[in-house]
Amino acid sequence: MTSRRQHPTRRTALLLGAGAFAAQGLPRGALAREPNPMDFIDSPYWAGKVAAGALPVITLRLPEEPRVIDVSGPDRIPGRHGGTMRMLMGDQRDIRMMTLYGYTRLLVYDDNLELAPDVLETVDVKDGRIFTLRLRKGHRWSDGSPFTTEDFRYWWEDFANNRRLSPGGPPQALLAGGEKPVFEVLSETEIRYSWTKPNPIFLPSLAGAQPTYIYMPSGYLKQFHERYADKVTLYARVKAARVKDWGSLHERFSRMYRPENPDLPTLDPWRNLTPLPAEQFTFQRNPYFHRIDQAGRQLPYVDEVTMTIGTNSLIPAKTAAGESDLQARYLRFDNYTFLKDASKRMNFDVRLWKRAEGSWFALMPNLNAIDPVWRDLNRDVRYRRALSVAINRKDINQVIFFGLAKESGNTALPESPLYDAENANMWMQADRALANRLLDEIGLTKRAPDGVRLLPNGQRLEFTVETAGESTEETDILDLIKQDLHEVGIKIFPRSAQRDVFRRRILAGQTVMSAWAGMDNALVAAEMEPDALAPTSSMQFNWPRWGQFLESGGREGEEPELPEVQELVKLYQAWRGSVTHDERRTIWRAMLRINAEQLFTIGVVNGTLQPVVVSRNLRNVPEKGLYSFEPGAFFGRYMPDTFWFDDAQVKS
Amino acid sequence: MLKYILKRILLMVPTLLVTSALIFTVINLPEGDYFETLAAEMQAQGEKADLSRIEFLKTEYGFDKPPIERYFHWVTGLMRGDMGYSFEYQRPVSEIVGDRLLLTMIVSFVTIIFTWVVAFPIGIYSATHQYSWGDYGLTFLGLIGLAVPHFLLALVFMYFANVWFGTSIGGLVDPQYLNQPMSWAKLRSVLEHLWIPVIIIGAGGTAGMIRAVRANLLDELQKQYYVTARAKGLPPGKALRKYPLRMSLNFFISDIGDILPSIVSGAEIVAIVLSLQTTGPLLIRALQAQDMYLAGSFLMFLSFLTVIGVLISDIALAILDPRIRLQGAATK
Repeated sequence: MTSRRQHPTRRTALLLGAGAFAAQGLPRGALAREPNPMDFIDSPYWAGKVAAGALPVITLRLPEEPRVIDVSGPDRIPGRHGGTMRMLMGDQRDIRMMTLYGYTRLLVYDDNLELAPDVLETVDVKDGRIFTLRLRKGHRWSDGSPFTTEDFRYWWEDFANNRRLSPGGPPQALLAGGEKPVFEVLSETEIRYSWTKPNPIFLPSLAGAQPTYIYMPSGYLKQFHERYADKVTLYARVKAARVKDWGSLHERFSRMYRPENPDLPTLDPWRNLTPLPAEQFTFQRNPYFHRIDQAGRQLPYVDEVTMTIGTNSLIPAKTAAGESDLQARYLRFDNYTFLKDASKRMNFDVRLWKRAEGSWFALMPNLNAIDPVWRDLNRDVRYRRALSVAINRKDINQVIFFGLAKESGNTALPESPLYDAENANMWMQADRALANRLLDEIGLTKRAPDGVRLLPNGQRLEFTVETAGESTEETDILDLIKQDLHEVGIKIFPRSAQRDVFRRRILAGQTVMSAWAGMDNALVAAEMEPDALAPTSSMQFNWPRWGQFLESGGREGEEPELPEVQELVKLYQAWRGSVTHDERRTIWRAMLRINAEQLFTIGVVNGTLQPVVVSRNLRNVPEKGLYSFEPGAFFGRYMPDTFWFDDAQVKS
Repeated sequence: MLKYILKRILLMVPTLLVTSALIFTVINLPEGDYFETLAAEMQAQGEKADLSRIEFLKTEYGFDKPPIERYFHWVTGLMRGDMGYSFEYQRPVSEIVGDRLLLTMIVSFVTIIFTWVVAFPIGIYSATHQYSWGDYGLTFLGLIGLAVPHFLLALVFMYFANVWFGTSIGGLVDPQYLNQPMSWAKLRSVLEHLWIPVIIIGAGGTAGMIRAVRANLLDELQKQYYVTARAKGLPPGKALRKYPLRMSLNFFISDIGDILPSIVSGAEIVAIVLSLQTTGPLLIRALQAQDMYLAGSFLMFLSFLTVIGVLISDIALAILDPRIRLQGAATK
């Protein structure tokens, strides 16, 4: 080899030449080269419009530095344009799924759950409190209007700090220690947010599945804003839309998370064309989308996405009839065999992805129950541990999930950098003797003739476990748990209620114990907010009143009384003020450990499977994936804009 | 007669007022409101519900005001023809309902016609051939339609329509025709789908109607005038058509009052199972989500149609059957 390098042969010279030639095909973002307009490839979808002059050519539509996605790897190959991706949804509101699947954010989580710029070109962070965001020059909204720092200014000054539009002030993510940032526009592409204290949730909140939007299409929205619009036309618009005032009008037309307004410009890969209500929504490729593949082909590959709305219980059947090209929503594990059978006749594959909840099913002892007897019992860690070890998780896994799930506590998944096997297995063994010993230790030694233990006041140790009753799997699991607990002298009555009623009962403290999924996001990383591990919200069913206390800043709810919970609150607040990655990781570890030891939520199984139906013509959908709202945005992290149809008959 | 009609029309006003109060109360009975439902759903999805945002929406839609005030706001709006605003769809109720009305009417009309076409001949045959094999057989068939749960029938039909004929599952047209203007191809696709809901929804009604026609007709067939007519040599067909059949139609006309609202509301459960975009599922969804103006206004609309329907059937009966008219007069 060395000799060859010194004396290039004809063969190597040719190779080098070929390499240089090939490199010419690469976009300028990949190599620092003079931009060559021929490098970009537009979808034939726009050919007519471009030729007619209704749409600028591709070079003028892309930002100067588009984001180059390297579409390569074991099951990812560069694709071609065209086709319509069909999906089924159960509700009009599900059009927000497109905001998730598109997963276009200022920053996004990459494969290693690290934050990476997407819409932004770069982010510069100083001391964890000064954030300079730089936009891509020449980036445009889907209507062709420029996307600049003016859109950020509009949001900050005219939306977030406008009494009428945001009576509560700017969102939590923009407050550090209750303080607003200093906001500066440095140039057309540069803005700066600076706080006096560190603000670790700022960047993660921009990358969330449901992100904090800190920009808005100002060019479009100014026509609805009191400060910019002409009074007479604005009044006429308010009248025509039959709303209260300009604020309602602005509210209605400015929703970015739920793309209900076809006129609202977007940065997402596809934009909605259909106004509400409709049976089918059509999403069309955004001609100004900022991502390209390594060959310079503008993403998304797929020209159109349709979402057909129907009854959600029919979706498995419709999917099996081949009416969807990519479907996971409204499919459940118990549909798997049916879908697999149908896939023999139809043109689709069924894949099994892993769900990313901390626990697919967890018991939530209500530490804020009104009844003092049950409340005190629930607060006794020995009792919670006894419940946990009394459950035979292996049986549940075998019976309900064919052994495909993982018996684990409600904690980080193995795929998470914060996973600790010890946390996942703590108090998870099935040990009836230990459970009995723990219960005896609490003093629940007396038993009724039928074997049920008696509380010191003579009451029987029996209570209802409430669920939202949304799936038969939940009640099946509870039936198994019922048997296990009966063996140690505890009697439970599973009861399902309608979801809202269920939630309200818990908040009111009327429930002793409930069943619900564990942490929504168990693919945690140190940079994510550890809010699920401490009482931070009234929607946490194990300590709703304590959560409410923190959420409302002490105006409502109760102050946490248990020392371990106080410790969690302290740790959470320390995270909110943390600066370094190491600091955050230490705090996360400590919080996960306390939760594992204390069993504030009693996890049963996690890593359950989610069927994903994929048309055989659709390429680049991973064989194995993780399915979760946060941080994956369901399909979002796998970039559906890089999925493409491998067939000649793609209708475009 | 005119006085009678006028009196009936005046009576409709208090009836509707009481109905509106009832509807409003019942919809408000469950705790919480649309915004809490919204928060619960968002949470089930893993999303965080921003509490200040929800508070904002509540004041935005006047939910900080007492129910009485909201009721008056709603009722006065209704009187002006304003059906209120749907939270879920973010637009006036009339726009949402309007879109689905046509489809619902098509399904219901065809179903009603189907019911009549099937039930009348069978009913007449059963009555004239009482206790024959035909009577038993046809009645049995009708009763199956009544006895089997509609949603089950719907699922079975849908499955076989898909496997045998390749009809797309659910809905009234193939997905590619959605949001497209009416065309021959689309119409064909509608017809291809329409027979399933029509048979299923019609099946139950058919059985009921067969029984009613049969029973009423049997009553008449045993009466003196018919026996006399037959004895005097009137051919059976003519004798049947001329008197007993007509007399047995009373029940049918008094049914018109129910037909009107059912044309608009359709069969909700079947519509949900078949995922038809008719008004039925819309109403149920609105009730579940506590989208109160949508649900309330829609129910009011149905009550209004019922009242009108009853009025029409009363007038028709008064014209058709002098006995009813006389009784009406006697009470005055």
